[in-house]
Amino acid sequence: MDYSRPERADALAGEYVTGTLRGAARRRFEALLPAHPALREAVAAWQRRLMPLSLSIAPVAPSPEVWKRIEARIAGSSRPAQGSGSQASAPRLAFWRGLAAFASVAALGLAALLANPGPALPPVVVVLNATDAATAGALPGTFIASISGDGRAVVTRPLVNVALQADRVLELWALPGSGAPRSLGLISANASTAVKRGQDLKDATALAVSLEPPGGSPTGAPTGPVLYVGKLTL
Amino acid sequence: MAKDWTERNAELTGLLGRTGLGDRAAFATLYRHTSAHLLAVVLRIHRDRAQAEDIVQEIYVNVWRSAGQFDAAQSQPLTWLTSIARNRAIDALRRRQTQPFTQSTLSGELTNDDDDADVYAQVADEGDGPLALLSRASDARSLEHCMQALSAPQRQGIALAFYDGLSHAEVAQHLRQPLGTVKSWLRRALISLKGCLDTAAQSDAMRDAPRGGSAGGL
Repeated sequence: MDYSRPERADALAGEYVTGTLRGAARRRFEALLPAHPALREAVAAWQRRLMPLSLSIAPVAPSPEVWKRIEARIAGSSRPAQGSGSQASAPRLAFWRGLAAFASVAALGLAALLANPGPALPPVVVVLNATDAATAGALPGTFIASISGDGRAVVTRPLVNVALQADRVLELWALPGSGAPRSLGLISANASTAVKRGQDLKDATALAVSLEPPGGSPTGAPTGPVLYVGKLTL
Repeated sequence: MAKDWTERNAELTGLLGRTGLGDRAAFATLYRHTSAHLLAVVLRIHRDRAQAEDIVQEIYVNVWRSAGQFDAAQSQPLTWLTSIARNRAIDALRRRQTQPFTQSTLSGELTNDDDDADVYAQVADEGDGPLALLSRASDARSLEHCMQALSAPQRQGIALAFYDGLSHAEVAQHLRQPLGTVKSWLRRALISLKGCLDTAAQSDAMRDAPRGGSAGGL
């Protein structure tokens, strides 16, 4: 790509800030920023233009645990100060050494699958059958969830399209052997959805789909009826 | 929402400056004032709460380390923080996308219908979806008429890309339009937004009215 043409550089900066510049092109662009003031200027201008859009998103306070983990992380940094609150989160430190850790964290999720690591592992398929609630609510159906062999990706697919009311969505949950269900995200009622939440499959013994208001469960736990359930057997 | 915008900016600028000097108390206050906004931004792109919170954690560790690079003359503090958050969130998407199963977020069967109604079919279910957000964002001055100047599919495409972190290909799938069409919609949309917002910024600088209450003019 020719970054020296001003209009092209500006268009790329716009795509970078909008988020549609992806993959290798995004990395190349980022690599150029430190050495190219004009490019940085173009990015800053696009940020000024577009960032006000994000102000319309209703704030969501993080759980207190997030700040504890941040404190623990910066306690080990070179800056002067004493780290407080590092005790509770210390064991997680090694875990969260950066976003790059996501992949390996995900891999830990399905330890059984990884007994034999390798690219050729077949996906695990979970069949989620309609519960009584689904049948009663006239939403019969079956979802297939395939978990990639490396445990990093889950793809759900309805066998037949599910006709939802316009103001309802489906949310996929991982049910651990004990403890609260963990959201894996929203899934489509009539198309396949890739939910890439491998790390949340850790100790999951079943997958479930619940009916939720738009945007998904506001509480972090299923709020609507559970419509489809499938056992995760490894 | 942004009532004492200038004052708030000054406060955040001060907090960022002190954070850059290693002041933990200032950093904690900065976190209290801004983390709910950044989590919300990340949650649009990563709907999973636990994953979004992990990303927010990374963002603030990064802010702690790089706050010294914040240049108040160059950018506003919330813009700077939001940009860091969005970049992190998008980078995390990129990692997901290099994984084997991730052709797209929603890979529905593509119908042959090119009905206009189809373009909005999926969007209608989204409640607090990107379009609803856009209309709220329109409260921010100048964006309103600049967004209105875009065609409906352009607005939709910008909203899906900006709020939900969809790629060109994913926006195309979502709107059930050919990739090339969507790419050129979005490019033209950005060019049009730029022209419009820059003009608005110039006339804002000359006009005193704090908010354009009546939509009578533009």
